[in-house]
Amino acid sequence: MSALLRIFGAPAILFARTLSAIRQRGVDRRATMVQLVEIGSKSSLLIVSGLAFFGAVMVTIAWAQTRKYTGNITVVGPAYFELMLREFAPLLVALLAASRVGASTSAEIAAMSVNEQIEALELCAADPIAELVTPRFVASLIALPALMVIGTIAAAVSARVVVTTAFGADGSAFTDARFVDATDVLCAFVKGALCGAFIPLAAAARGLKAKGGAPAVGEAVTAAVVDASMGCLLIDFVVAAAFLLIGV
Amino acid sequence: MIRALGAFGLGVARLTGALALVLARTTLNLPRLDRRELFRSIVLFGYRSLPLALMAATLIGSTVVLQAGVYAVKFGARLYTGWAAGYALTREFGPLLLGLVMAARIGARNAAELALLNVNGQIEGLRGISLDPFRILVAPRVVGSAIAITCLGSVTFLVAVCFEAVSSYFSLGLPLRVFFDSYQDMLRVGDLVGGLTKTLAFGLAIALVSTVAGLRAKGGAVGVGQAAASAVVLSCAAIFSLDLLLTPFLTRLFG
Amino acid sequence: MRFGRVDALVDVTVSISPGEQVLVTGQAASGKTTWLKCLAGLQPPTSGHVRWGPDDVARLDLEERRRRQRSFGMVFQSDALFDSMSVLDNVMLPLTKRQVPRDEAVERARAVLDRVGLSAAHGKRPEELSGGMKKRVGVARAIVAQPSILLADDPFAGLDPSTERSIAELLLEVSRGRTLVTALPDPVASLPLARVLRFEQGRLGSVP
Repeated sequence: MSALLRIFGAPAILFARTLSAIRQRGVDRRATMVQLVEIGSKSSLLIVSGLAFFGAVMVTIAWAQTRKYTGNITVVGPAYFELMLREFAPLLVALLAASRVGASTSAEIAAMSVNEQIEALELCAADPIAELVTPRFVASLIALPALMVIGTIAAAVSARVVVTTAFGADGSAFTDARFVDATDVLCAFVKGALCGAFIPLAAAARGLKAKGGAPAVGEAVTAAVVDASMGCLLIDFVVAAAFLLIGV
Repeated sequence: MIRALGAFGLGVARLTGALALVLARTTLNLPRLDRRELFRSIVLFGYRSLPLALMAATLIGSTVVLQAGVYAVKFGARLYTGWAAGYALTREFGPLLLGLVMAARIGARNAAELALLNVNGQIEGLRGISLDPFRILVAPRVVGSAIAITCLGSVTFLVAVCFEAVSSYFSLGLPLRVFFDSYQDMLRVGDLVGGLTKTLAFGLAIALVSTVAGLRAKGGAVGVGQAAASAVVLSCAAIFSLDLLLTPFLTRLFG
Repeated sequence: MRFGRVDALVDVTVSISPGEQVLVTGQAASGKTTWLKCLAGLQPPTSGHVRWGPDDVARLDLEERRRRQRSFGMVFQSDALFDSMSVLDNVMLPLTKRQVPRDEAVERARAVLDRVGLSAAHGKRPEELSGGMKKRVGVARAIVAQPSILLADDPFAGLDPSTERSIAELLLEVSRGRTLVTALPDPVASLPLARVLRFEQGRLGSVP
């Protein structure tokens, strides 16, 4: 319970403050675009290669197992694609983004905190939440579902290519969307949006709290990435369980 | 474009060089590791991360059952849930997800600490009084965090499997005995060894990458933050790459 | 560096009238910085009250606090300049965030930079400047929006004696007609302020 509070408490408070900052000061379009480009350009290589590697690993394992028990690897293809789209890709993309986005956001904001720049902004009549948190929050909320789509495609295509070229079987089943329905897609996007909202808030909360020089920055980054990854694991589990409970 | 590629290639080459250097100097220092520092890093990285690893284990276990279980039911293979979940956990998800969480916890912390020593000039200072910083600071950390992550991995597997059993009991109504029977029948020692090999590899990668990131840090608070951040990201990249390289090899070896 | 859970300040009651020139002294970690930041409403005191005129700062709502915070300008110990912006943009920041039109903001910022003796450094980045010049930029940013209260947190930290004297002159010059509260480890001859407070271990000590 206390662990839950530790991970979600500060981000929840920051969420409320960010919403009220958005209501009062709106969203700075240009700053948000800058953050979008930042997240997109810095995370997409990591996420595409990570998920492509993961797709290859999964079919390698599936190949070894199906040869032992059922025989034909292509039967698991459509199920693999659904599982990838609904469960694996959202989870892994969220975890990778938690590392990439969480680490850089917290490092940047924590360095500003210990250099008194956040307080300087306040005395310049600027709202630090509106200046720093809002653009990152909105950008990550938009970017994460998009990165999830890219990641799913990377994993599926790499699985198909590996099956076709390395195992000499027909790989087209691994990009077969026969089992995919609207709820699968919905489940994936709910996970993406929630993690996308959570990651920058968790990171910014740790960054804003940093006090007292360079050691505080290191601690803030460590804590932020841990919070962000554990939070994403939790969000993922809760959403998956909720979709299972309502029976879709 | 070409220039960007060139810079990327140069960066990769530099990183590989630095990794090789740290690995080589750690290996050379293995026989005369500073015992106290080794013990300290095992406690710091291993014992202190235990609550986090346990929490991750429960989550990973329950999530894998949810994912595997639904499909086992769909394809009428409910009885195999134990095997499927156990196999997926030990061979792929356990090491991978634990690796990603530990990249955050241990990688970032190790990099931040070394970066701090570096930025404050303390590493240079050790050289100044003709002590080898590698023997005293770096090698024990590399060995310590690799040991810590492997131990955490074994504990995590155990806890996660128990949670899988419990959560498949609740979510799929699968009796615990059936779960463990199918687990026992079809899962072999090789699977466990395969999983632990991956965990060890990931642990070593996190230790090396974060050490290099920490030692390269420059310039105050900003530098420390960047070192920690790049340690996490590079560790994740290393984990996914190693997973790809090791899996075909391990599947051939252990089936 | 870690303070643990030690209260930085205990039992400090001070009131400052408009136009007063106050020097706060005390060792490192004696609570001067915290006190200055509480005065400006940047940090809430863990207990006790900060009053601006008759009003308790903790009771003001966020908008009202932000509005009144505009009468404060602060020179930070770590300068707190933004390296991603030019010197001119740094000094303009308080004006642009107050919705001052750009042309007017540029003009006022240039005038203030001339006043602190940095006419030649407009286009430079803060990281290219020396410690004394950065401090001047910090002073320029603190006064550009004409605040009635100027706070300076250890403005001589890391400066050599001659730079220290010139920054002290600058502070005296720009604080004419304003309330000035400066925090320093020890009183210095170059900054003779009318009222001197001394914090000792978080308490108000006797003034020598």
